[in-house]
Amino acid sequence: MKSLRRLIYPYIAWLTVLIIIPFLFIVLATISTFHIFNSYTFRFTFDSLRFLTDPIFLNAFKNSIKFAGITTLICLTVGYPVAYFFANMKSKNKTLYVALLIVPIWSNMIVRIIAWENVFKPVSILNLFNLSFDMIGSDIAIIIAMVSMYLPFMIFPIYAVLDKMDHGYIEASRDLGANAFQSFYKVTLPLSLGGIVSGIIMTLLPAMTAFALPERIGGGTTILLGNLIEKEIFRGSFSIAATVSFVVMVVMLSLFMLIVRFDKEGETLL
Amino acid sequence: MKKNIYGSSLQVFLTAFTFLIVYLPILVIILISIHGSQYNYDSFKLTFKWYREIINDQQLVDAIIVTLQIAVLATTISTMLGTTFAIGIHSLKKKNRVRMMVLNNVPVVNPDIVTGIMLFIIFRFFRMTFGFPTMLLAHIFFALPFVILSVLPKLKQLDSNLFDAALDLGATKFQAIVRVIIPSIKVGMIAGALIAFTMSIDDFIISYFMKQGEFHNVSTLIYSRLAKRQISSNVFAYNSLVVVLTIGMMILFNSLNQTQKKVRG
Repeated sequence: MKSLRRLIYPYIAWLTVLIIIPFLFIVLATISTFHIFNSYTFRFTFDSLRFLTDPIFLNAFKNSIKFAGITTLICLTVGYPVAYFFANMKSKNKTLYVALLIVPIWSNMIVRIIAWENVFKPVSILNLFNLSFDMIGSDIAIIIAMVSMYLPFMIFPIYAVLDKMDHGYIEASRDLGANAFQSFYKVTLPLSLGGIVSGIIMTLLPAMTAFALPERIGGGTTILLGNLIEKEIFRGSFSIAATVSFVVMVVMLSLFMLIVRFDKEGETLL
Repeated sequence: MKKNIYGSSLQVFLTAFTFLIVYLPILVIILISIHGSQYNYDSFKLTFKWYREIINDQQLVDAIIVTLQIAVLATTISTMLGTTFAIGIHSLKKKNRVRMMVLNNVPVVNPDIVTGIMLFIIFRFFRMTFGFPTMLLAHIFFALPFVILSVLPKLKQLDSNLFDAALDLGATKFQAIVRVIIPSIKVGMIAGALIAFTMSIDDFIISYFMKQGEFHNVSTLIYSRLAKRQISSNVFAYNSLVVVLTIGMMILFNSLNQTQKKVRG
């Protein structure tokens, strides 16, 4: 099939134009006066890097780490046992149950965010049940909504590795004298690490960079990195938007290295 | 093997929690879509007027049409291109294949907002007019890697001698791909197409960066109305329809699958 190698050249060109060049533009904008909207004289400057010590940035960075970190931790703690439960289920409808977790993702994300906003507002549809919350702007509201949005993305990759796992390994470890805890800790867990890493990335990165969710549920006062990027790019301050994007990309690439270690061809990413 | 009762009841509890927290917004959406008033929540008034209101809202209808057009086109194009590229990647030597897949997976892992910024930058750089074409290109861009990821495992299961045999028997390369490779990787292509379609109809963040004036898909339209405080319950009605349709389709596929299994024994 060697003769089919030529088929990848257009893909390489496509990826170069749409990923590598914009990436270089972002790097350039971070370390120079480079601007896509208008071309001034080009010189290197670290002015926009100074923004990284600005309290506005530091606050957004801290918020992103806090909300995304807590959300990811909750998703992992809840998601792993659930994925394990689904993977070991004997029911013939097993795939249907897992698929039912996809349905909410088909439902529009913005509409789901408005639904949560409704739940947390004092005057809402919940009044029909004599329930009323006043939680807009609170940390806990943002975290609940984030868990609701991203939990399925933690469950799918872990389920995928656990479902494919050869049960012979577990039986072998039990035959060799390991107790249930030991065989989980020494066999199941290491074999599912690839799924865990993918799940963490699929939850952490979107949560860190979310902007519609913190804006609506946070009542406009909680700023995450995503809000910062969105505001700055449409205000025309390209270099600041690029600098913040660059920070996000550094986080992304370092997490990406982890994935590549466990799963070279990204089979757990689906 | 002894069953760990505590372990499994915790699992059942967490699974129930998962369904509850993931489905709660869906229930709220359905409830709002059948409640008569947008402002009065003293007592429940069953109505289906919001469902009629979908058709009367020309802007929403236009946005639904744009969303569907983009989803169908992006799915078709990314499935065709993705399959072609996957065949190319599969025929590489291991080292280069891994390199290509690492590059392929960058957009998968990349947060949507960064992908949005990158495409925004490059389209601005080429002085492209934002609107339908840029949104379509963007959707093809983020769907492609997923198609490749779902086709590649099927290619690995394929015996590569089959392709060479077809060539030896006089098929052209194109014929060998269409008649030998494609039929064996069909399942992966369908899975990839489904993922592409799902991601396209639901996308907000990347489409948001492709916006231009009054050109909207459903997500960006709702978001812009949100800022203007013009949300009417008809978007909840539209969303409920989508959810009911998906659940119905899934149950149908599941039962079809099972009768198929029974027939095969």
